[in-house]
Amino acid sequence: MPQLGPVEYAIPFFILLIVLEMIWARRNAPQKYEPRDTLTSLALGVGSTAAGALTAGIVAAAAVWLFQHRVATIGWAWWAWIACFILDDFNYYWAHRTGHRVRWFWAAHVNHHSSQHYNLSTALRQTWTGFIALSFVFRIWPAFIGFDPVMIATCGAVNLIYQFWIHTEAIKRLPRWFEAVMNTPSHHRVHHAINPVYLDRNYAGVFIVWDRLFGTFQPERDDLRIQYGIVRQLGSFNVLWAVFHEWIGIAKDVWRAPWRHKLSYLVRAPGWTHDGSRDTSDTIRARWQEREGLAPAE
Amino acid sequence: MPFIAIQLVASIVLILLVSWLALALKLGNDVRLKGEAEARELAQTAVCGFDPVDLALDRAGIGALLRDSNGRVMLLRRHGAQFAARILDSHAFARLDRNFLTVGTGETTFGQVTLDLGNKAQVWAASLRRLGN
Repeated sequence: MPQLGPVEYAIPFFILLIVLEMIWARRNAPQKYEPRDTLTSLALGVGSTAAGALTAGIVAAAAVWLFQHRVATIGWAWWAWIACFILDDFNYYWAHRTGHRVRWFWAAHVNHHSSQHYNLSTALRQTWTGFIALSFVFRIWPAFIGFDPVMIATCGAVNLIYQFWIHTEAIKRLPRWFEAVMNTPSHHRVHHAINPVYLDRNYAGVFIVWDRLFGTFQPERDDLRIQYGIVRQLGSFNVLWAVFHEWIGIAKDVWRAPWRHKLSYLVRAPGWTHDGSRDTSDTIRARWQEREGLAPAE
Repeated sequence: MPFIAIQLVASIVLILLVSWLALALKLGNDVRLKGEAEARELAQTAVCGFDPVDLALDRAGIGALLRDSNGRVMLLRRHGAQFAARILDSHAFARLDRNFLTVGTGETTFGQVTLDLGNKAQVWAASLRRLGN
């Protein structure tokens, strides 16, 4: 039997917690789950694991190559684990932020947001095409400064496992000190919301401090009914459509666009068009601020 | 059988079991629009800046058609236990059968929906036909 990683060991707990949340939903809010949506989320999770297994060797080889050309050797001291975990979470923040702000990366990440529900099964709605988007580049560079690739991979896995439990509406708010430092269900609900005030906020993985530090933090408001999903909801439970719709959209846009605008459809924000016919999250937010009588953000 | 194949088969069986459990627990609800206010709220959230000035609600609450002051028409339809919306454009189609109006967006994956709009069906069918002009 091949050696299993932390994520594989966590899967039985993921399933157990999903079942427990379903029982909670049965008693409190049956609309929080939808069987077809759950099936789509879980199928995306299985597909993501399979896609990851197919490409893990290449990502590992790239990390090992960087490690072989490292500028220093950090080793396995206890503090190296802490430093690696914090650095990996910092990298996650920027990878995630780029995943929302650059359409090429968004195409790989969008399926995680494509559910209109927000429950633990949504957490497993992971990318199939992250490798194609080269998102891993954000996470492996610490090998070059001397962190062992195994340490980086382990920290990345723990980061992913941490993010599972925050995909729930069953937990409202946690103690203030915890909400101040850590990413929580409340903070991450904001991230998955499409209400204009919440768009492109709270990119954190484990530590919400990155959002506070880099100006992307938005607390959850009690007076607002959250709508989850993406700005243009899929309206479909088709797994393949969830995975590939944005890539197909990019291909169509690049094909139709004048030559001087083709690259922009890859590197500009999702929703950007050369003729302004669609909305980006910035234009939606600006319109909302105008309607609310708020000054647009600088 | 290689371990990875066993893992894949086991995962598929497991996700089918969990999805069946969601079904057995009757999760998802039979959601319906509670009224015009909810339809307006959902429309405004779906497209920021869309302020409905006219709307027709399906009698069973499974969807609605809404028009804003700029003449844009939005289809709001049930999607599982939620609602999804589209601004209708020239690709949209409408088929009228007495009080029933079948509306499609032209997007295969978004599908189409048949709304019971009562005596408003004919008026809305006519206005949707004009979208193509």
